[in-house]
Amino acid sequence: MEKAIVIDMKNLTKKFGGLCAVNDFTGHVKENQIIGIIGPNGAGKTTILNMVSGIYPPTQGEIIFKGKDISKLAPFQINHLGIARTFQNIRLFQEMTVLETIMTAYSWRAPYHFLETFVSLPRVARFEKETKEKCLHWIEKVGLGNEAHSITQSLPYGMQRRVEIARALASEPTVLLLDEPGAGLNQSEIHDLVDLIQGLFTELSLSIMLIDHRMDVIMRLCEWIYVQDFGKNISQGTPEQIQKDPIVIKAYLGEEIINA
Amino acid sequence: MTFYITVAISIAISSIAVLGTFMLTGMNGLFSLGQAAFMGLGAYATAILVVNYGLPFPLAILIAIALAISLAFFVGYATLRIRQDFFALATFGFGQAMIALLTETVTITGGAMGFSNIPRLTSPALAFISLAIAIFFVWGFRRSHFGKDSLAIRSNELAAEVEGINAFKHKMIVFVISAGFAAYAGALMAFHISYVEPATYGWILSVTWIIIVFFGGRDSLTGTVIGAIILLAAPEALRFTTAWRILVYCVIILLIINLRPRGLFGTWEISLKPFLRFFKSKKQQEAK
Amino acid sequence: MGVPMQFSIILQQVVNGLSLGAVYALIAVGFALIFNVLKFSNFAHGGVLGISAYAGYIAANQFKLPLIPVILVGMVTGAILAVLVELIAFRWIRLQKGQLVYFFVTSVTMLMLLEQVLIIRFGASFESYPYTLVKVRVLQFGDVTISVTYLLSLISTIIAFSGLIYVLKKTKIGIAIRAASNDLTATSLMGINVNMVIIAAFIVSGMLGGLSGVLYGISASLSPQIGQIVVKGFIASVLGGLGSLTGVAVAAVVLGVLEVFLISTIGSGLSPVVIFLLMVVFLLVRPHGFAGVSFSDKA
Repeated sequence: MEKAIVIDMKNLTKKFGGLCAVNDFTGHVKENQIIGIIGPNGAGKTTILNMVSGIYPPTQGEIIFKGKDISKLAPFQINHLGIARTFQNIRLFQEMTVLETIMTAYSWRAPYHFLETFVSLPRVARFEKETKEKCLHWIEKVGLGNEAHSITQSLPYGMQRRVEIARALASEPTVLLLDEPGAGLNQSEIHDLVDLIQGLFTELSLSIMLIDHRMDVIMRLCEWIYVQDFGKNISQGTPEQIQKDPIVIKAYLGEEIINA
Repeated sequence: MTFYITVAISIAISSIAVLGTFMLTGMNGLFSLGQAAFMGLGAYATAILVVNYGLPFPLAILIAIALAISLAFFVGYATLRIRQDFFALATFGFGQAMIALLTETVTITGGAMGFSNIPRLTSPALAFISLAIAIFFVWGFRRSHFGKDSLAIRSNELAAEVEGINAFKHKMIVFVISAGFAAYAGALMAFHISYVEPATYGWILSVTWIIIVFFGGRDSLTGTVIGAIILLAAPEALRFTTAWRILVYCVIILLIINLRPRGLFGTWEISLKPFLRFFKSKKQQEAK
Repeated sequence: MGVPMQFSIILQQVVNGLSLGAVYALIAVGFALIFNVLKFSNFAHGGVLGISAYAGYIAANQFKLPLIPVILVGMVTGAILAVLVELIAFRWIRLQKGQLVYFFVTSVTMLMLLEQVLIIRFGASFESYPYTLVKVRVLQFGDVTISVTYLLSLISTIIAFSGLIYVLKKTKIGIAIRAASNDLTATSLMGINVNMVIIAAFIVSGMLGGLSGVLYGISASLSPQIGQIVVKGFIASVLGGLGSLTGVAVAAVVLGVLEVFLISTIGSGLSPVVIFLLMVVFLLVRPHGFAGVSFSDKA
C-alpha cells in the first residue's frame, strides 16, 4: 500500500538579501518514513528545516502539512500541529534540569488560565503532576533515566543531544525534524544515536526528516535522500541510487568517500 | 501610627511593586525602565478618582489597575515581538511620557507640585495582607508551567517557540501582570503617604527595583522578598541622604553581580514541605 | 518683516536642530560602538559623559583654561572613565561568560552611581560653563542669527567623525575594532588580543562621550542628571538600526531636529509624549530600525 504524504514541500525558495540560500526545492516526507537531506556546508539544508519549522517563511513556494499550508505559520503553531525539531547547535535552557526542560514542551497543552495559577487551583498541580510522569517516560526512552534531575548544561554533549530529542518527542509529534543530530559526537556516540533514532522511528511510527553531512548516518537511516549543493537540489533517490549517482559523487560524495 | 509601622507599611507596599519586577525582569529577563510609571499611574488615577470624583477606594483601585494593564498591553504589543533592547527603550519612553503628562496636566494632577490631601485609607492590615497575597500569587504562577516557560524563554526564546510556547503571549501576560502589581502598589502608596508627585516615579525607581531583584537573587522569590525588605529598610535605619543611599545600592549591586552573580540567595527558597509532610502524616494517622 | 522673518526663524531652528542632533550623534555613535562589539546597551556611557562634562566645567571655571584644552580635558576624562567602567563593571562578567542581563544591570547601575557622585559633589542645582569660554556668542547673517556654541557643536562633531572614520578605516586598532564588531570570537581566534580591542573601543567611545558632554554643557547647561541624555543615543541607535554607525548618526540628527521642532511648537513639557508615540509607531512599522537589518537568529 502506498504511504500518504505528510509534508509536501513545493518549490521552496529562500533568499537572504541577494543570497539565495535555497533555490526551488521540491520534496516530500511520507507517513512513517525517514528522509534525509545531505550536502556540504552552505548547501541550504538547515534553511529548509527552518522554513518547515516556521523560523522564517519561504520567499516563494509552499509547505503543505496534512493538506494545510503551513508556510506562513509561527514556530509554535507548527509545533501544535505536530512537527517538532532539534537544533544543530544544541539549544537547551540554561539553569534548568532535564525534567524541567522537557516539561516545557507540554506547557501549551495546559488546560488552565494564568489567573488560576494565582490561587493555585488543584487542577494546576494535577496537570503538572501528569506532565511530570509523561516526561519521565520520555527521559527513560532516550536513555537518560538517571539524569532526570541533572542540570542540562552539566551533562556531556552526547547526552545534551538526547535531551533535545526527548524535548522534541515530548511535543508528541507526527513529524520529527533532526538537524545534524550527529554533529559534535564521536563514532560510538553516533552509533548509539542512530540506533536510538531507528528505535524511536519503529516504535512511535514517526515521520522523520534528517539533515546531516555524514554519509554513514544518512545511509543507515534514510529511505529516500535529497542531495543539495549551493542551495540547489542536484539529485534524489534511495541510498543505493545516491551512492552510484555520478553527479553526486562529483559534487559532494567524492571527497567524503576518499576521506572516509 | 508610630514611625516604625509607617515605614513597615511603605516597605510592604513597595515590595508588591518589586514582586512585579521580579516576574518581569527576574524570571523573564525583560527590563522595564518604565515600571515605576505604572506605579505613578496607579497612584494618580486612584487618588483623582477618589478625591475629585468621590468613587469608593476599591473601585478606584480596580479602574487604575485596568488602566495600567491597558497601557502595558499597548506598549508591549509594539515591542515584545522584537529585541529586548526595544522593550527597554519603549518602556523608558513610556515612563518619560507618563511623567510629562502628569506634570503638564496641571488642572487635574496639580502638575509638578503634586497632588495632596489624599485620605489615609491604607491601613496596616491592608498593606500587609496585600503583600502576602501578592507573594502567594507569584508563588503559584511560578510553580505552574508559566514559571518554567519564563526560564525557557529567558534562556532561549527560539527553542521555546519551536516546542510550542507562544513567547509573545507569555511575555505579554507577564508584563501586564507586573504593570498591575505596580499600579496596585501605587494606589496603596498614595493613600498611605497621602501625597503624590510625578518626579518620584522616574526611571531611577524602576532601576532600584531591578537592583533589589538582582540583590536577593533573580531566581529566588524568597531572596527577592528578603532583599526588598533589607534594601528598603536600610536607608530608614541608616538615615543616609538619598544620593548616598543610591550610591551605596550601586556599589552593593556591582559587588554582588561581580562576585555572586546569582544574588544573595541564588535559587534557594523557603520550603513549606516539612510543614505539609507533617500535616499529611497526621491525616494518614487519622485515616488509619 | 513677515515672510523673510518666518524663513529666518525656520532656518535658525534648523541650525539649532542640526547642532543638537550633532551632539546626539556623538552620544549615539559612542553608545553604538560598544553595542557593536559587546552586544549590550551600555547605559554607563551616560555616566561617563556626565562626569566628563563636569570635568570640563571645572577646567574652565576653576583653572580658567581656554576652549580647546577644556574640550581635551573632557575627552581624556571620558576615555579614562570609560576604561574604568569596563574594568569595574564589565570585564569580570565577561571573563565569567555571564549572561547579557548582567551587563545590562551593571551598566544601568554604573550610570546611576556616576550620577549620584555628581549629586553628592555639586548638589541638584544647575551650573553653566563660564560665559567667556566662547567669546563671540552669535553670528549675524542678515536676518539669521546663529549661536556660535551651536556652530561649535556642529564643527566639532564633523571633526570628531572624520577622526573616527580615519581610526576605524586606516589604523590597525580601528580595523580590529571593526572585526570585533562582526564577530568577537572569530577575532580572538585570529590571534588578536580581545581585551586590548575592547579597551580600545571603550577609549574611543569614552572620548566621543567626553566630547559630547562638554559640547552639551557649553550649549545648554549642566545638571547631575545630564547623563540621562544617553537615552537619546539609545533611541537613535535602536531606531537607526543597530550595527550601522552611519544609520545611527543619521537617526540622531533626525531626532535632534525633531526635538527642536517639537519644543518650539508644543513646548518641552509634552515633547517626550510625542516622541514616545512616534517611537512606538515607528517600531510597529519598521520593527528593525531604519537600516532594516533583521537580526534573525540563525538556527
